[in-house]
Amino acid sequence: MSSRVRIGILIAVTAGLMLVAASMVGVNVFAILDAMILSSYKDTVRFTVMLQKLTVYTVAGVAVHLALRAGLFNIGVEGQFLMGGLAASVAALSVPGSVGMVLGALAGATAGGLWAWPAGWLKARKGSHEVISTIMLNAIAANLSFYLIAGVLKDPKASTAATANLPAETRIPAVLTHYVGMNALVINGALLVAAIVYVVYYRWLTRSVKGFEVSAVGENPTAARFAGVNSPSVVLRAMVSSGAIAGFAGSLHLMSATGKFVSSFSDGYGYDSLGVALLSGGHPAALIPSAVLFATLGAGTPKVQQLGVPLGLTTVVLALVIVIFAAIRATKGAKTV
Amino acid sequence: MSYAVEMLGITKRFGGFTALDRVSISVPKGEIFAIVGENGAGKTTLMRVLFGLYGADEGEIRLDGKPVTIRTAEEASRHGIGMVSQHYAIIPELTCLQNLMVGAEGAAWLDLRAAEARAQALAEKMGFSFEWHRLAEGLGPAQSQKLEILKLLWREAEIMILDEPTAMLSPADADALFVNLNRLVAEGKTILLVTHRLPEVLQHCRQVTVLRGGQQIGTRTVSEITASDLAEMIVGKAVSVPNTAGRTVGEPVLTVEGLTVKGDRGDDALTDVSFTVRQGEVLGIAGVDGNGQRELFQSLMGLRPVNSGRMLCEGTEVTGKETAARIACGFRLIAEDRLHEAVIESWSLVENGVLGFQGLPQFQKGREINRIKAEESALAFADRFNTKRASLSQAIGRLSGGNQQRFVVARALAENPKVVLAFQPTRGLDIEATQQVYAGIRETCDAGAAALVVSFDLDELLEQCDRILVLYCGKLFEPSVRSREVIGGLMVGHE
Repeated sequence: MSSRVRIGILIAVTAGLMLVAASMVGVNVFAILDAMILSSYKDTVRFTVMLQKLTVYTVAGVAVHLALRAGLFNIGVEGQFLMGGLAASVAALSVPGSVGMVLGALAGATAGGLWAWPAGWLKARKGSHEVISTIMLNAIAANLSFYLIAGVLKDPKASTAATANLPAETRIPAVLTHYVGMNALVINGALLVAAIVYVVYYRWLTRSVKGFEVSAVGENPTAARFAGVNSPSVVLRAMVSSGAIAGFAGSLHLMSATGKFVSSFSDGYGYDSLGVALLSGGHPAALIPSAVLFATLGAGTPKVQQLGVPLGLTTVVLALVIVIFAAIRATKGAKTV
Repeated sequence: MSYAVEMLGITKRFGGFTALDRVSISVPKGEIFAIVGENGAGKTTLMRVLFGLYGADEGEIRLDGKPVTIRTAEEASRHGIGMVSQHYAIIPELTCLQNLMVGAEGAAWLDLRAAEARAQALAEKMGFSFEWHRLAEGLGPAQSQKLEILKLLWREAEIMILDEPTAMLSPADADALFVNLNRLVAEGKTILLVTHRLPEVLQHCRQVTVLRGGQQIGTRTVSEITASDLAEMIVGKAVSVPNTAGRTVGEPVLTVEGLTVKGDRGDDALTDVSFTVRQGEVLGIAGVDGNGQRELFQSLMGLRPVNSGRMLCEGTEVTGKETAARIACGFRLIAEDRLHEAVIESWSLVENGVLGFQGLPQFQKGREINRIKAEESALAFADRFNTKRASLSQAIGRLSGGNQQRFVVARALAENPKVVLAFQPTRGLDIEATQQVYAGIRETCDAGAAALVVSFDLDELLEQCDRILVLYCGKLFEPSVRSREVIGGLMVGHE
């Protein structure tokens, strides 16, 4: 059986399973697809949400991708994103206006980088696996951030655990606001910042001397060492940079979308970004389509739930997309990660 | 007379290559029988045939006079044959006892107490001691070797094959090993010993068979021959005319003084090595694989820490400098293990052409790689020794090994090298490409560089190098005369 036939069968079985699942909950499958995929583009509110998610997925996807290129699996993006968001809220609240914004972004990147540093150091110097250390750092980040916003960082006026709201002048402004009836379509400046991060990263990775060395370490650490690349130092710096970018993503999300740090600040963005980077198959050009897909399905999820379909189904769809994509890449003989 | 093992007229071919050509050995019970020869002589192949890892194309194996067929290692074990290969098969994640038992547990349910008692009894008989429940990862080379020998006893092997058992051992541990082996033969075990080292043969073995290029040169009783006889049998008579034309050499380029370096297992891989290579000189390092060549090149490239000693390049000390700094000084390595050390398979020829040079200013444009320089260099590297390729953007892994090697050698001879370190530079190349590569090295040296060539092929070194030194057990020896016999003798520890 040729590999193409096997992938065809895989896709057919997937589609069949989805039809069965849809008919079991008693909903028209086309209505589900419509809600899942098209609602983000028909509805201004959902489109705005999609763009917010796209902003996070792009920057956090770059963070995961950078680590992957150095041969590291940075599962810790979730924790770095949380610590970045939290640090940004503290810094941005201290000074109002654009100075606060810049401080918030710097604090976010610094906190994310510091949160990744132990994992990078342990990997580079002691050979500990970064997957284990970053998972543990994620747990610490989630609980520490909740402890802080329920305690010293809690807004006294708030009834739940949350920091104070950023004043309007410390939030990243919209570059475009378009009203359709009562609903506003908003494109936030953070999306432009994310685009710049992506373009700079792409150019750095494919053209720069450091990007070349990072890729060499990721592809073949021994050959890199023989070529005069200091592999442990590259590993440490890649991990810290990845964490800093993830922390920066957290600060962007805080200053553009949420305005305050709450316990549900992340909504799993860090873990989804792993999917974004993995789906891109290692090539930076595929990061954007991958981020758009995740953002679209993520924004469409509430619509699907309104139809009475369980939340898990969109997750299942995403997972199947990744599996099918990985299967296609594997049969082409390319490396999946 | 009855023999424990007889291998009669064994022929083994790999494709068109004959690895063994009608080789016969007869090993009496209760003695240590040596099999010697250079790299690629067929020693290990012969032992693998006996252990069932390779099927022979012709020939017969008899055990205690009875013909047997041995198709797998399991069948060999059932016939009482055990083998310890050069690289120990100890699993570091298991305890010593588990390592001993694995594959020969004897029952579906483990009786650890009985197993430990038996292990302890075997160890005591040999005078070994182990902490049975400790993980094997902490074992040094000598302890690992002892555990391997116990594994054979555990499996009740009567015939033991030891392939280069002392390659990883210090001299003291090697002596202790032979005490134990003598104890085993006194009990009636039969030992086949594959080795490069002549003193071991002369001291401990009763008979020796010499192989060269798959041919059997002869079998001798050790007490009737001298070390020189044996060395001559191993290396043969000189066939090529040594290159004795005196070349004009210039100033010293690379000076190494008293270099001592630890190997991967913590023993001294190089001991007090000193030499000088001058401008225009091609210095050959002869020696059997595993005598410190790897460690010498790695320490010269800054890839391995140095315990003591100094390295100078044109009078400037480079000891302690990082690899990138040495590349900038003009050190170039043609690495031993091409796929792991010299190229990145999934990358294009252009990208691989930059590999190693990315830190040099001429390959940079600001903070970016100079892409025009990269393309030009890749084209020059590929054309120099006629690397056959579809395009320069093709992944280097898609090229044949020989074509990869041509590219790698061309890269190492580019950008004004001062010290070229070539480890088996012509591996995988045909005769024409071999000549081109040495001509390239010579050209580079004539332009003021110096080259160090490691090869396990003595004839190649005699033909191509101005001067030859011999590495044996981590020490460097200068042959008194440039002759195949003298150098060959030094290579196997016969001064």
